[in-house]
Amino acid sequence: MAECHPVGFQWVMEAKARGAKVIHVDPRFTRTSAVADIHVPLRAGSDIAFLGGIVNHILSEEKYFREYVVAYTNASAILREDFQDTEDLDGLFSDPTTWLYESGKDDDDRAGESHEGGGLHEDVYRDPTLTHPRCVLQVLRRHYSRYTPSIVAEVCGVSEEQFLSVCDALCSNSGRERTSAFCYAVGWTQHTVGVQIIRTAAIVQLLLGNIGRPGGGILALRGHATIQGSTDVPTLYNLLPGYLPMPKASDDPTFASYVSNHQPSSGWWTEFPKYAVSLLKAWWGPAAVEANDWCYDYLPRLTGDHSHMTTVADMADGKVRGYFVMGENPVVGSMHGGLQRAGLAQLDWLVVRDFAVIETAEFWRSDPSCQTEVFFFPAAAHTEKDGTYTNTQRLLQFHHKAIEPAGDRRSELWFMYHLGLRLRALYEGSSEPRDRPLLDLTWSYPTVGPHDEPDVLDVLKEINGFDVTSGSPVSSFVELRDDGSTACGCWIYSGVFAGGANKGARRVGGAEWGYAWPADRRIMYNRASADPSGTPWSERKKYVWWDESEGRWTGEDVPDFIVDRPPSYRPSDDAVGLDTIAGDTPFIMQSDGMGWLFAPTGIVDGPLPTHYEPQESVMANPLYGQQRNPARLEWTRVDNPYHRPFADPDYPFAVTTYRLTEQHTAGGMSRWLPWLAELQPEFFCEVSPELAAERGLVNGGWATISTERTSIEARVLVTARIPPLVIGKRRRVVHQIGLPYHWGSSGLVRGDSANDLIAFVADPNVSIQESKALTADIQPGRRAARPSESRRSRA
Amino acid sequence: MTVGFFTDTTVCIGCKACEVACKQWNQLPDDGFSFTGMSYDNTVQLGASTWRHVAFIEKPASSSGDGGDNKFSWLMMSDVCKHCETAACLEACPTGSIIRTEFDSVFVQPDICNGCGYCVSACPFGVIDRREDDGRAWKCTLCYDRLGSGMTPACAQACPTESIVFGELSELRARAADRVGELHAAGHTEAYLYGADAADQPGTDGLHAFFLLTDEPEVYNLPSAPVAPAKTIGRAWRSMAAAGVAMAAAAIASSRSASARR
Amino acid sequence: MTYYEQPLLKRPVWKWYVPAYFFLGGVAGASSTLGLVFEPLRRRCSRLSLVALTLGAACLIADLGRPERFANMLRVFRPSSPMSMGSWLLAVYGPAAGASAVLGSSLGAGVAGVAGVPLAGYTGVLVASTAVPAWQDASAALPALFTASGVTGAASLLKLGDCDDETARVLRRYGIAGMVGELAAARALEHEVRDVGPYKGSPLWRGAEVCTTVALALSLPRRRSRRREVLAGVAGTLGSAMAKFAVAQA
Ligand SMILES: Nc1nc2c(c(=O)[nH]1)N[C@H]1C(S)=C(S)[C@@H](COP(=O)(O)OP(=O)(O)OC[C@H]3O[C@@H](n4cnc5c(=O)[nH]c(N)nc54)[C@H](O)[C@@H]3O)O[C@H]1N2
Ligand SMILES: Nc1nc2c(c(=O)[nH]1)N[C@H]1C(S)=C(S)[C@@H](COP(=O)(O)OP(=O)(O)OC[C@H]3O[C@@H](n4cnc5c(=O)[nH]c(N)nc54)[C@H](O)[C@@H]3O)O[C@H]1N2
Ligand code: SF4
Ligand code: SF4
Ligand code: SF4
Ligand code: SF4
Ligand code: SF4
Ligand SMILES: [Mo]
Repeated sequence: MAECHPVGFQWVMEAKARGAKVIHVDPRFTRTSAVADIHVPLRAGSDIAFLGGIVNHILSEEKYFREYVVAYTNASAILREDFQDTEDLDGLFSDPTTWLYESGKDDDDRAGESHEGGGLHEDVYRDPTLTHPRCVLQVLRRHYSRYTPSIVAEVCGVSEEQFLSVCDALCSNSGRERTSAFCYAVGWTQHTVGVQIIRTAAIVQLLLGNIGRPGGGILALRGHATIQGSTDVPTLYNLLPGYLPMPKASDDPTFASYVSNHQPSSGWWTEFPKYAVSLLKAWWGPAAVEANDWCYDYLPRLTGDHSHMTTVADMADGKVRGYFVMGENPVVGSMHGGLQRAGLAQLDWLVVRDFAVIETAEFWRSDPSCQTEVFFFPAAAHTEKDGTYTNTQRLLQFHHKAIEPAGDRRSELWFMYHLGLRLRALYEGSSEPRDRPLLDLTWSYPTVGPHDEPDVLDVLKEINGFDVTSGSPVSSFVELRDDGSTACGCWIYSGVFAGGANKGARRVGGAEWGYAWPADRRIMYNRASADPSGTPWSERKKYVWWDESEGRWTGEDVPDFIVDRPPSYRPSDDAVGLDTIAGDTPFIMQSDGMGWLFAPTGIVDGPLPTHYEPQESVMANPLYGQQRNPARLEWTRVDNPYHRPFADPDYPFAVTTYRLTEQHTAGGMSRWLPWLAELQPEFFCEVSPELAAERGLVNGGWATISTERTSIEARVLVTARIPPLVIGKRRRVVHQIGLPYHWGSSGLVRGDSANDLIAFVADPNVSIQESKALTADIQPGRRAARPSESRRSRA
Repeated sequence: MTVGFFTDTTVCIGCKACEVACKQWNQLPDDGFSFTGMSYDNTVQLGASTWRHVAFIEKPASSSGDGGDNKFSWLMMSDVCKHCETAACLEACPTGSIIRTEFDSVFVQPDICNGCGYCVSACPFGVIDRREDDGRAWKCTLCYDRLGSGMTPACAQACPTESIVFGELSELRARAADRVGELHAAGHTEAYLYGADAADQPGTDGLHAFFLLTDEPEVYNLPSAPVAPAKTIGRAWRSMAAAGVAMAAAAIASSRSASARR
Repeated sequence: MTYYEQPLLKRPVWKWYVPAYFFLGGVAGASSTLGLVFEPLRRRCSRLSLVALTLGAACLIADLGRPERFANMLRVFRPSSPMSMGSWLLAVYGPAAGASAVLGSSLGAGVAGVAGVPLAGYTGVLVASTAVPAWQDASAALPALFTASGVTGAASLLKLGDCDDETARVLRRYGIAGMVGELAAARALEHEVRDVGPYKGSPLWRGAEVCTTVALALSLPRRRSRRREVLAGVAGTLGSAMAKFAVAQA
């Protein structure tokens, strides 16, 4: 965190100064470890075993926060008799239909949908004593029983002693009086089991009662300056703004089916139609009427996986003709640079918008026969435009333009808006129905300044939502309607422009700094900071509570609950909408209001996190016969070869990749800047003194690192910060090679790209690549020149 | 008002924001682009175009700041001109280019410096240096141009962890003493202040930019007992005077003996 | 443990001009002083002084990073800075030496002769008053060494011209005084510094010792020999110059 979120890390340092214990779990000793109380070096890709070990410790030592667990999680739910765990099937689960709870009703026919299914409804059998052998807590106990300290040592390379010291620190700092937080970023996500690693942390935190309470939580430290913003108003192919799902051609042919598939029968998402209709109204304005299903048919439909790697593979197969790359440098930042370049070379045209002529705009230099026509547009920087950043804690912060963009530089907003205007002009007068979505778009923003820049506040107002007749901004998403009277570009952001005031620009401090979605709430699910009766769990940790005399929830934050709903409220059988939310169910975005220890739906690779080895590993899975995530996404193609699942004699070492404080991602924002470039001027690998001795690597010298994909060269940094791990009873030594991935062939400082080494393989839930754990070989010296390079040097 | 820096190396996270902020504010050139293999330090030392420099020391033993649980420690320290109480560079400067400002900082006036280079040899910390392409001597200005308008120096402003604390010198000293007490109480008895005052560092009469360290000064490339030339120059003058008398005497004696003979 | 074996101090930025000036300044000063007290040599002394001074000043200016700003040396009068003192000294000495050499002014000769004393030695203070341990440690020996080396240099160079017996005797004595002083100061320096490596390890330093010793040996016999005088002059000049270059490199 000190490396990649140094500014946010000041709060960790402040907590530390106040006595907090900082534990850093990372294969490498980093700048974070340097100031942490405990550094736990572990084998990359082994976090589920580590966290599973903690779950086992909590359960076997009875360290969980029982009242919280009984009241606020699904620990008491009873599973179906035909559910089979990885314990029964050597690392596999029974069919997903068996993951549902045992209930008085027939199989929940909505199972598997994103906002619904598997809810812990009245009809589900429960055992509040948590003793029923098929209740979630007991299933959890069995599932993690084999994640013992000695298994942790064997899988992760962490000594039992150190592992137990982490368990103790965590458990003794959790409960009524104290809370502990987890921070994670891409050391956890970029795995074929990425989502399940976070799930394991969620289980730990729910068991310890650390969710929805001050000082608790699982904090996703986000990436690019507003990557949170581009998840909320998404750049993801399968989401619409505000986490509304993108319709599927197969399942959601009509608006009615779209709604029925995604509106659950209980919980906050019962509001789904209001958000969906308001979004369609925001996009198609007067054209969107009830009679035409609010222009629902104008929305594209998903016909399959259109994630990044799939698209690039399609590109390489000649199935994609044009490509916009705006604010991304996939030739360096994405997996398998060779395949990325091959894909781009098959395009007819490519548009790149960036500050500098990055590798993605210059990829053709290594292939003079490339026919792709590349258009490069210079982009305006954040200093040259108004806008908001949404940060890690969901805080929208407005930034003001400092200077006009120089030369031809323009903002994305300018580019998209004016591109839209030109496209509409091209189709002007068309009577083709297929052109209606474009022509009916609400596409007229007032423009300002010398370049006709669309007014961002007008865009912000649309995102906030407004009353269609009066045009005045809504004050909150609770004002949104499904009758077409409101429009809203992203319901979760509603309120940021309430009363026409740009709350993201607030600079007062404390709660009046920026605007935290939803509803300016700083901690989500904060109803859980009080016990079921609405009283704080402890004086020390009081945050939001029920004020009986006022008949309202109150406290130090905007309560994340229906503000006047008493703790004692129980929905009637025929309750609908928000009336389905009981007064003691804090997790209101879940249809049952519960924290899910066991996930009956929504996750494709199992209801409980299970340790699987990475696609390419240095060892056989010590826990199960099932080596790898059975649901992982593979791309089986000749240009994407994989190593043996484990113990590939040609690739004996583990590799992990990461960032350096001094550089930024694929380098477009740092390798062109002398002040940053000089700080980490060359691509290097980090190896332990032991590995250096074994392979004859010399500090400051060169090494060649190879996978089946390609070989790259790097300077060598020999450091005890990346220690070899001693694994298992046979004390096997596992070496890890560390590769920062910031370099490429253009810029002030250049070097080989680590990502040229990495294959396409992904997590099945979110298609994230596995770039944190793979295998490779390392040899001293420089690599052989590539054909394209020798050609270039001759020219 | 006397202002300065207290740099607490135990909370430094080595982010180099200070180094970059300084270069950016002062529009300094890069130092070239080469990999040193010296941990994460590729700018190596303070110099004419690096006025803040973060040192990285990989130590195979635990030390302050990591709770003693780790087998290893990584010390980071952001170095800067010390704005010495007795500033060798200033005392040496023949042109008066180096002055003591109203903030009691030591400032090189670029419009005066003629690049004689004497300050470079005088500084006991190896801070100030002459820029090859420009001919003049450069070092940290203590952001004289920012202080004048009530701003904090760029490096301190950028530091996320308050490893660099800017402020009034006596307050900094008090804060630093508290911090050492705190660390000692927590068992980090190796923590100490470097150059906090004249008693601590008689050779310079104390530094206006002083440090909290946890290892020997040399580990951080600092001298353990720097002595400003002002402290030894008296001896040299006296020696010169004696030698001058001897020389004059030799001249007279040589010619006297000649006339005597004649 | 050091920091990756990086030097703690900055290397002095001075090029060869600076030790050249140390030598030339020493020669000029010691020569003017002799010229003042020994009338018969005054013309030669003042001419040598002027030449040495002119070359020396050129060296000084050439070494500046901003030579066009050499006049800034006289912006302030800073007693703590030997370089500032030296600049003022040169400002007094230079015109006097010029007047003495060009106009034959006896006032000039007088001023130059007196100013020549500190001129010969202040560079020793200048070098000693730095942070460089090999110099700062030798703060007593260096001014003596520099002064003596100035005398050696002046006497040796003056010897190279035609001399009558009397002049030769004066120069022999003046030179012996310088050389003895120089050799003694060098030994004292070796004792004074904590680390003698930068000196003892330097060929220049050992060369200076050899040359000066040879010159001294050649100067000892009272009986005149032109060949010996010229050899002694050359060796003495070399010894004096090498001593200063050796110090500059230490
Ligand atoms: N200076 C700087 N800051 C940045 C960025 C940058 O490039 N430079 N990038 C931004 C972006 S886009 C993002 S996404 C974030 C990412 O922020 P981080 O996730 O913090 O970044 P990384 O360095 O990729 O990975 C973090 C750590 O994970 C460790 N690691 C690798 N494999 C494993 C594993 O299997 N288990 C565990 N526990 N740890 C593992 C690595 O050693 C590394 O130290 O940073 C953002 N901030
Ligand atoms: N091996 C390995 N690979 C990784 C990762 C890893 O940990 N290991 N991490 C992954 C992660 S988390 C990420 S986020 C990616 C990042 O990978 P990329 O997103 O491909 O890399 P960036 O360099 O961040 O690219 C962003 C580009 O946007 C430009 N830019 C900045 N602001 C603007 C703007 O306002 N407009 C426009 N048009 N352009 C702008 C920048 O100059 C830069 O070139 O890398 C991924 N790749
Ligand atoms: S670069 Fe920006 S986002 Fe990243 S740590 Fe610094 S201030 Fe925060
Ligand atoms: S540290 Fe050096 S440059 Fe800075 S004030 Fe002291 S003597 Fe001068
Ligand atoms: S180089 Fe400039 S600042 Fe340094 S002593 Fe000479 S004139 Fe003064
Ligand atoms: S005070 Fe200013 S000039 Fe000095 S190091 Fe800090 S930023 Fe640079
Ligand atoms: S900014 Fe602060 S924390 Fe970062 S390197 Fe500099 S002193 Fe250390
Ligand atoms: Mo990221």
